[in-house]
Amino acid sequence: MSPQSKTGLIFFPAFDWAISPTHPEREERLLYTRDQIFEEGLMDLPQIEEYKPRLAEEKDVARAHFCVPDVGSQVTEAHLIAAGSTLTLADALEKGEIRNGFALVRPPGHHSMRVVHGNRGFCNINNMAILVEYLRTKYGHKRIAVIDTDVHHGDGTQDIFWHDPDVLCLSFHQDGHTLYPGSGFVNEMGGPQALARTLNVPLPPGTTDEGIHYVLDNLILPILDDFKPDLILNSAGQDNHYTDPLANMRFSANGYARLNEKLAPDLCVLEGGYAVETALPYVNTGIIQAMAGLDYSHVKEPDYVPGRFVQTEGMVREIEHTVAQVQKIWEQRDELVEEALAALGDFYRRKRRVFYDTDMINENQEEVVRLCPDCAGYMTINTSAQRGYGILNSAFCVSIPRKACSSCRDDAKEEYAEHVDDKRIGYVLMQDKDKDKFKFYNNMTRTERGY
Amino acid sequence: MLIGIDVGGTTTDAVVVDGNKVVKTAYVPTNHDNLLKCLLLALDELVQGIDTGKIERVVLSTTLITNMIAEGKTDPVALVLIPGPGTNPRDYALGESIILDGAIDFRGKEIDRLKESQIKEAASKIRGQGLSRVAVVGKFCQRNHAHELKVAEILAAALPGVKIEMGHKVSGQLNFPRRAATTMLTAATKDSYERFAKDVAAALKERKISAPVYILKADGGTLPLDKSVQMPVETIFSGPAASIMGVLALTDPGQSNVVVDIGGTTTDLALILSGKPLLSAKGARVGSLLTQVRAFAVKSVAIGGDSAVTVCGGSLTVGPHRDGPPLCMGGNGPTPTDALRVLGLSQIGDAALAEKAMQIVAEGLGCTTKEAAQTVVDAVVDKIVFEINEMFREWEHEPAYRVWEILKKEKLSAQSVVGVGGGAPPLVPLVAARLGAAAIVPQYAPVANAIGAAVARPTLTLNLHIDTEKGEFSVAEDGLMGRVTDQKMTPDDAERLARRLLAERAALLGIGEYAGEAEVTYSEVFNMIRGWSTVGRLMDVRMEIPAGLLPSWGRC
Repeated sequence: MSPQSKTGLIFFPAFDWAISPTHPEREERLLYTRDQIFEEGLMDLPQIEEYKPRLAEEKDVARAHFCVPDVGSQVTEAHLIAAGSTLTLADALEKGEIRNGFALVRPPGHHSMRVVHGNRGFCNINNMAILVEYLRTKYGHKRIAVIDTDVHHGDGTQDIFWHDPDVLCLSFHQDGHTLYPGSGFVNEMGGPQALARTLNVPLPPGTTDEGIHYVLDNLILPILDDFKPDLILNSAGQDNHYTDPLANMRFSANGYARLNEKLAPDLCVLEGGYAVETALPYVNTGIIQAMAGLDYSHVKEPDYVPGRFVQTEGMVREIEHTVAQVQKIWEQRDELVEEALAALGDFYRRKRRVFYDTDMINENQEEVVRLCPDCAGYMTINTSAQRGYGILNSAFCVSIPRKACSSCRDDAKEEYAEHVDDKRIGYVLMQDKDKDKFKFYNNMTRTERGY
Repeated sequence: MLIGIDVGGTTTDAVVVDGNKVVKTAYVPTNHDNLLKCLLLALDELVQGIDTGKIERVVLSTTLITNMIAEGKTDPVALVLIPGPGTNPRDYALGESIILDGAIDFRGKEIDRLKESQIKEAASKIRGQGLSRVAVVGKFCQRNHAHELKVAEILAAALPGVKIEMGHKVSGQLNFPRRAATTMLTAATKDSYERFAKDVAAALKERKISAPVYILKADGGTLPLDKSVQMPVETIFSGPAASIMGVLALTDPGQSNVVVDIGGTTTDLALILSGKPLLSAKGARVGSLLTQVRAFAVKSVAIGGDSAVTVCGGSLTVGPHRDGPPLCMGGNGPTPTDALRVLGLSQIGDAALAEKAMQIVAEGLGCTTKEAAQTVVDAVVDKIVFEINEMFREWEHEPAYRVWEILKKEKLSAQSVVGVGGGAPPLVPLVAARLGAAAIVPQYAPVANAIGAAVARPTLTLNLHIDTEKGEFSVAEDGLMGRVTDQKMTPDDAERLARRLLAERAALLGIGEYAGEAEVTYSEVFNMIRGWSTVGRLMDVRMEIPAGLLPSWGRC
């Protein structure tokens, strides 16, 4: 078996890590998946190469996030291993050791946004975003497509690439009116410079294999043909499954396997999925087989029969309508950007509140991006977050984009310098993606750290 | 006095050990057509002038099963699989098999029923093929034996006289295809092995040796011969295991060493890490089959003293084939042995012929004979060093599934390179120097394998799986199942149960006196949460008597 035809696999179930003993994100989550894929002997097959995970470096995290007050206080080793697993597979892919890869790891990441004050939706740091930033910095990839197939809206990944026209973030999910995090509607399309490079496809509860494959065939695959990414990445949540206890969709293991066969992602990263016994063992086996080009037709949940779930007329029409809407947005992408930029001045601002459900944190943010004609423009974020009635953490964050123009670079540095030692703000953070340098300044202790 | 006999690929080596002294050694050439004969030849030579009444134990290591499998002389077996959902069974490289409906899941729940008519059809198919041995293996059968038992029962009734092996009796470790292969090999070798064991027992009785007889397993442990007939495949690769146990016996305890066994055409490499021989992670590869046989991780490199040296277009290749003996020993072409002779690193063979051999290489490379010899030796050392480093790298990169496992893994390097086998003395110092390690060629290196067999103690592993929600436990190694009544069982309770079961199993296998040596090598507990409350616990405990030496062996 030549290496180019192998599928890389990292299985990191973090059997000694949990959010809390009875939380869905607990030690037991991938136990039966372990039993199934080990009993199948998948790791012994010549088509599959198992890799050992590694710890991501704090710098790898800082490339995607502003962790307040710093990376070390927002992550445990388990988070660094989950994120590091994706990087190990990225290296193997780039070295030509594997044809594609699946990081079957926990904890998950796709609800973690650019600024991190704590855990949101079971996620502390965004494994997928860390992977994307690593692929771009280390291997110089320009265009990357992230397809989020988790049942929940991939709001964290969306936030991180909101202003980035080179990263296509497409998420399909159960309609936000009916499920956490309550976002991911068609009109969430990205920042003014990157409109329609964020696409959302909300689906009605009860959507079946048929519905999801309709979205794949009629929307996702054609858009990928247009976008022509260097790499396709799958944020592979497994909670669209018909037995998932936290959501209401009707997707099957076979449907998931077929999706990965058609989508042919270069790398897959596990997100959510909490039907630990009834779905995960079968869905994971199916995805691994599909990626490795093996026959997955023998993967079947014990209680599944083809044709078990049928969508109503109304649901079919709703899905078709949503797909048509998103198609239109995609087709008008260039005009949308042009119009938006014409209507704005030198800066784009948005104010918002972010709620961290797991850690009960309320965050207020003001994000400002310079709409620069010469580069992607520097960004600042003023953030303050309160945990319950407890401490208030505030930070001023500055980001210099890749290939920044000198004026954006100078202005960004000035912003950083202005906020250092400003007693109203706890921390000042600088993310220089262009030079791959990161700084954390503590205004209380007046100390600076950097990577 | 202890006797160790290793029936190796070329010679059969035997030793008598008394306390920590090697009293006597014997060598006879191995006759592959009659292993028993050469074993007895070595034994007879060994016990000459020795009071057989003082022999306390005889341990054999034999290539019987290894050879049978390598030569395709195993008995034909009908493989009956109950694969359930998952991988298409055709994707497993197991050869022809009969596939049955029915399925058990990871918790041991029946998720699809057997079809009796289908089993009867399988029986008539097996009858039609004229096969008299059957292996029945189901996915997750170790968590619930019902399907394997039912299929075996129906087949036994339909096929009188046919011998049936069941997967759950062979291994309960997760890995269905490996379990199927191991069960199939067990069925395929059991009869021949049983004959061999009977012959050995009879021959010893004839010689009035009443000491217990043990066989060495691939994991460096001994097992009474009469019990080993239940698990003949475990005796595969006992040769390399004997050498590694020999090195363990002949070097200081607790060290991290590389064992280098340089033979004619192959070099076997093994690692001893902090005094413990490294085991292959999931089980031995036997020919083309991956099995669940616990075995030391041995890497065979196709290079040795007799490897053919060829020069083509100014570049040099050593091995992997052999064109006959070295030129200095009457062969046709140059070999590493000739190169060592020219450099004065060994005294084996004729110096003038060795010179002639290196002349051939020198012409191809356009250099002096000395330079040519150095190039050949460097190539051999390069290859061995590369493979040793690979072994360490592979060990460091073994997958891990827990945070602590990833954080704790230290970096190890070899303290010593220990040479055994004929080609070791001249090459080991060169390999050691490159690795920055000490070179050791023990005094008894040529019979290290027989010493290893003589002083190895029994090993035993027990994997216990407990599901308190179902109120059940199961033992992977022999398929024993039982009830647990305590829903609130703690990990300590689980370990106590494992210790009791291990003691029972040790007694059953005739090695009860070693049960106290068992240690817990792995333990995991998972709370099963349904909704927001705990409904039970899944616990796994692995307890083992690891490979080790008899206490009577004070190390030299």
